[in-house]
Amino acid sequence: MSAPGWARWLLGRLAGADRVDEVLGDLEETHRDRVARRGRPLASVLTALETLDMAAALLREPRRGRRAFRTPARADIRSASRSKRAAVSWLDLKLGARMLSRYPGVTIVGGLAMMIGVGLGAGYLEIVNDFLHPNLPLEDGDRIVGVQTWDAAENDPELRTLHDFLVWRDEVASIQDLSAYRSIERNLGPTGGDAEPARGAEITPSAFRVTRVRALLGRPLIDEDGREGAPPVVVLGHRLWRSRFGGDAGIVGERVRLGASTGVVVGVMPEGFAFPVSHDFWTPLQVDALSYAPREGPPIRIFGRLAPGATLEEARAELTALGSRAAADLPATHEHLRPRVVPYTELFVGGGGSGRAYAVQFLFVVVLLILASNVATMVFARTATRENEIGVRFALGASRGRILAQLFAEALVLALAAAAIGVAIVAQGAGWVTRLFWQVTERETPFWLDGRLNPTTVLYALLLAVLAAVVAGVLPGLRATRPGLQTRLGHPAGASGSAMRFGGLWGAVIAVQVALAVLVLPPAIIAISALAEAERADAGFPTDEYLSARIELDPERPPADPSAGEEFAAAFEARYEELRRRLLEEPGVSGVTFATRLPGMDHPNPFVQVDSGGAGAGITAPRWVMSTSVDPTFFDAFGAGIVAGRGLRSGDAAADPPVVVVNETFVRQILRGRSAIGRRVRSTGRVPGPWQEIVGVVSDLGMDTDRDAFHPGRGPGIYHPLRRGDLAAGGSRSVRVAFHVRGDPAAFAPRLRELARAVDPSLRLYDVLPLDRPLDAGNRTQRLVARFASWTTALVGAIAVLISIAGTYSVMSFTVSRQTREIGIRIALGADRRRIVRAVFSRAMLQIGAGLLVGTAAWFYFMVYVLGGGDEIGLLVTTAGVLMLVGLAACGVPVRRALRIQPTEALREVG
Amino acid sequence: MGSESLAEFELLVMLAALRLGPNEAYTVSIVEDIRGRTGRSVRRANVFTALRRLEEKGLVSTRLGDPRPERGGRPPRLVAVTGEGAAAVHATTRAIQAMVGDLALGEARAAAGATESRG
Repeated sequence: MSAPGWARWLLGRLAGADRVDEVLGDLEETHRDRVARRGRPLASVLTALETLDMAAALLREPRRGRRAFRTPARADIRSASRSKRAAVSWLDLKLGARMLSRYPGVTIVGGLAMMIGVGLGAGYLEIVNDFLHPNLPLEDGDRIVGVQTWDAAENDPELRTLHDFLVWRDEVASIQDLSAYRSIERNLGPTGGDAEPARGAEITPSAFRVTRVRALLGRPLIDEDGREGAPPVVVLGHRLWRSRFGGDAGIVGERVRLGASTGVVVGVMPEGFAFPVSHDFWTPLQVDALSYAPREGPPIRIFGRLAPGATLEEARAELTALGSRAAADLPATHEHLRPRVVPYTELFVGGGGSGRAYAVQFLFVVVLLILASNVATMVFARTATRENEIGVRFALGASRGRILAQLFAEALVLALAAAAIGVAIVAQGAGWVTRLFWQVTERETPFWLDGRLNPTTVLYALLLAVLAAVVAGVLPGLRATRPGLQTRLGHPAGASGSAMRFGGLWGAVIAVQVALAVLVLPPAIIAISALAEAERADAGFPTDEYLSARIELDPERPPADPSAGEEFAAAFEARYEELRRRLLEEPGVSGVTFATRLPGMDHPNPFVQVDSGGAGAGITAPRWVMSTSVDPTFFDAFGAGIVAGRGLRSGDAAADPPVVVVNETFVRQILRGRSAIGRRVRSTGRVPGPWQEIVGVVSDLGMDTDRDAFHPGRGPGIYHPLRRGDLAAGGSRSVRVAFHVRGDPAAFAPRLRELARAVDPSLRLYDVLPLDRPLDAGNRTQRLVARFASWTTALVGAIAVLISIAGTYSVMSFTVSRQTREIGIRIALGADRRRIVRAVFSRAMLQIGAGLLVGTAAWFYFMVYVLGGGDEIGLLVTTAGVLMLVGLAACGVPVRRALRIQPTEALREVG
Repeated sequence: MGSESLAEFELLVMLAALRLGPNEAYTVSIVEDIRGRTGRSVRRANVFTALRRLEEKGLVSTRLGDPRPERGGRPPRLVAVTGEGAAAVHATTRAIQAMVGDLALGEARAAAGATESRG
């Protein structure tokens, strides 16, 4: 209800002690009255505007040592002109604000350009800071640290550190409550009802002391829960408690299903608590029961809170010492291991790329400079129309610095307004992009992302705005007030036309922009249309008749040795084969098949080489393909025809040499139509894979819908026989199932869950979806990223076009208006209008033509030569043609104006 | 004439202050009064500045009132018109009345409109 905090802060600062009660009381009273009469949203807007108005009034108060305010009049302008000081005054800013409405074209286009420039730079900084240096929203969150073990030999973190953890927990003094966790996925739900997969953490109970967050209901985990033989308990997250148990207040003490076993709920954590990253339930990590040898066991992450009085450096020194001792004691495993203490969030994002990430910022500054130099073109044209005003000022004795200060102030007003809008957009969009970034890289959204704008970002945006104002205001000002010009400018009524001329630099700027537009627009158009096409891409089978799901299983306890892993893999295979059998018994279900990737999904894309199979043609260069492992029923299940050779058979998984089947696009693109059967392929890389024999060719099934913007849904593909080893996913096993359903496949989803539960309650089902949708979170995120990238490219291209048109228009408009008298006289003397038009147009066409030429050349280099495209030349020609026409139109308006001038008028101006 | 002559906006502010009286006239109430009677949109910042100027000229005097809950517990700065201020209001309104005299304003507007359309 009370007035916005920022308004109170601002007016409180400006009002001074004797007026503060009055001003803040007025603010409060007016705001409350408005909220009552007009509602909060409108009241907030009106109060914001009024606050700025009031702030301006307070700034003019003589008490604060400023000039007494009078209505700005010619006298003010004169006195401002007379001043020799070069400083920017309040009046300059006010005049600058007035310029915004007087030249709406420059304001809109220039403002847009600066908004993009400042917004991009500020947005990038915001995202980098949010990603690399977030604030942990926990009590004294900056004292929570992570302990990472770095493998110096592999240059990678080593996560199998349970052995070290137990040593450190007893010995480290600078970090208290040293804790560890590992992420788990379990089917969780009421014992009698549906249990669905949830993401949780097996965590040492001490972690709850580290976070200092209390339970909403019941209690968090305590040390007793972690002892060997303690009854199984679970703490639920708020989100899970609401969604799966309907927010049942009596949940504490209830038994719930937890994978293959059950556990008693001892507590519910408050909303927003998803520590360590994005976890929804917690069970105790019983480390005492785990006796793993050094560098064995499940991957864990270690963290704790700096002990009172201890610093990060002390903790680092202590862990380094312990690391050196371990390296000496256990040289076989620990020789290259270096424990290091990092701020907590660095456990997940790494701090190594930090410097590079900030260096990229330089690119955005360059983009801003280019955009600002564009605005400078327009400002220069505008300044030229104000020659008289500038001349009068010089005549009244204003210094050059004084006039430059005013031109700077005018540009600054525009830049600040643009920066404000840019920052507002960043405030809305940056959080979204950061979350997307996390989804793409880590497939989760951490709890510490709060979407609030960092103050650093605002400061940086201000800095960029000042930089943009210097380029857009001072540079044209320097040109317009060159010492040689001043004497001529001093005689504004001079009859010999303008002393100002556009230099070659402006022409070059326009040419560069046209080139950029040519380069950026066609790919953006292609990408957007490809995305639209991807939604309709032909997968090669009726996608809406199939249901699919991802099936996962975890071992109840992480296996200590590899042979146990093999046993578990066999158990997993037995489970999904049992599921296949039960599915096939269902009426309406047919063609049940298993694979690591299904048609329409994102596929792994290795590089492969093909040899000629003894024909003497040698080995081909590595080519990029898509690959998946499928069971023998795969091609039948999707109705893919065998074009040559044979499909996969049940014994192929163990065949020696290994065998593969390729698709038709593979034959067409990589073998250029030659026979595939009998040839061998192998994956390339640091260590090339074994040679595999091609035994068959199948018709294309959509393997990927997004990756290749030029050919959605098509690509060279290799099908491997599905082996047990292909199904490992971290510690767990994962496979995808697809089958044909008569009727609506989505309606069969609950039955599929039931069948899976009957096979094994700990089998987890994810993404139970018909095949006509993006199949998993990865796919959906990928599409989102593709859409975001292509729309951003299109937007940048469109703005480049808009700005180059505006630049062309202002240059042409300026040039023609300088020649108006000349044109009038030539027409009066009977000159041919066409010749005049040609003369005027030639300059603009030269600039646009040069831009088109450079852009087209660059386009050919990148798109045709480097990327190997080539069938989009029509689009390039169309883009170039449209840009040319738009350029002509930009020149057309000023030329028409010049041609309409009456000879008498032209002659009168000369007289 | 002796008395200060007031600009139009200052006159409106002074008249509102006189009408509201020394216990009820302050920035917000003056804004409301002018808005309600004239239908003009009035900016609080302008009234604030005008009052400040009038106080400097000695035409009004101000004092802090009692804290009020609707103002978040803050007091208003109450405005009283000084003798000199009352004289200035009187002189300005008299000057306007003298100029208006027996001029029939409705006819004058019609005549002005006719002149413009001919021009």
